[in-house]
Amino acid sequence: MLNITAYCIYLLLTYTITVHVGWSFYKNGRIYILEELHDEALTDHINRLLLTGYYLLNLGYAALMLKNWEEITTLVQWITSITTIVGRILIGLGLMHYLNMMGIYLLRKYNYFS
Amino acid sequence: MNNQLVNSITSFNLMAYYIYLPVIILLTWYVARTLFRNSKIFMLDIFHGSSEIALSTNKLFEVGFYLLNLGFALVIMRVSVELNNARTMMETLSSKIGGFAIYLGIMLFFNLYLFFRGRRISRQRAREYALTPSGQVIQ
Repeated sequence: MLNITAYCIYLLLTYTITVHVGWSFYKNGRIYILEELHDEALTDHINRLLLTGYYLLNLGYAALMLKNWEEITTLVQWITSITTIVGRILIGLGLMHYLNMMGIYLLRKYNYFS
Repeated sequence: MNNQLVNSITSFNLMAYYIYLPVIILLTWYVARTLFRNSKIFMLDIFHGSSEIALSTNKLFEVGFYLLNLGFALVIMRVSVELNNARTMMETLSSKIGGFAIYLGIMLFFNLYLFFRGRRISRQRAREYALTPSGQVIQ
């Protein structure tokens, strides 16, 4: 019973965070693609594709984490297991985000697009 | 409900988590707000006043900052020993929150270093463009 409530709260949390963060990336990343491509329609298409890929990757990864969840017997364990795994997902997202920004920076620096 | 579950509701471990979680969330929020409110001016300087891309970059850095730091705070939350009294709870909590605050401070200075570095490089480039004779652009 405790495991099931933990899964529900965990999925709700990761879903909210992923969608919120993805929307922020979608809105703020558009200008970067536009600067390189100079084409509004193409930019919107690519941006949408990137958003879809991001959702698939992250929600899939979040769902995979359910498989190795420990058996929960106490309330303390309940809180700890939820926060630890949400924290792991947040760190993963953050690292991926910084790597992407570094990638964009390097591509621009060495004039990959032009 | 079994006995173990009832006992865990009133334990010091749980109380420690109830204190720890709001504190770290407020701390991260406060630091991020202060840092990224003041970094807008750096970003505008780096991107030579084109505000759209500057504010986007600022926002992207802010989201990344929240993700990394909140994630780290949540991962280190687990207290593996059983806390028996208020004294051990306070000691554990203070070392955890203090450690996290130090980590947050290091991240803050790292971000500041990045902003200053970006500003220096962008100014250097602007000077190089300005110095080129006959308006030629050197890469």
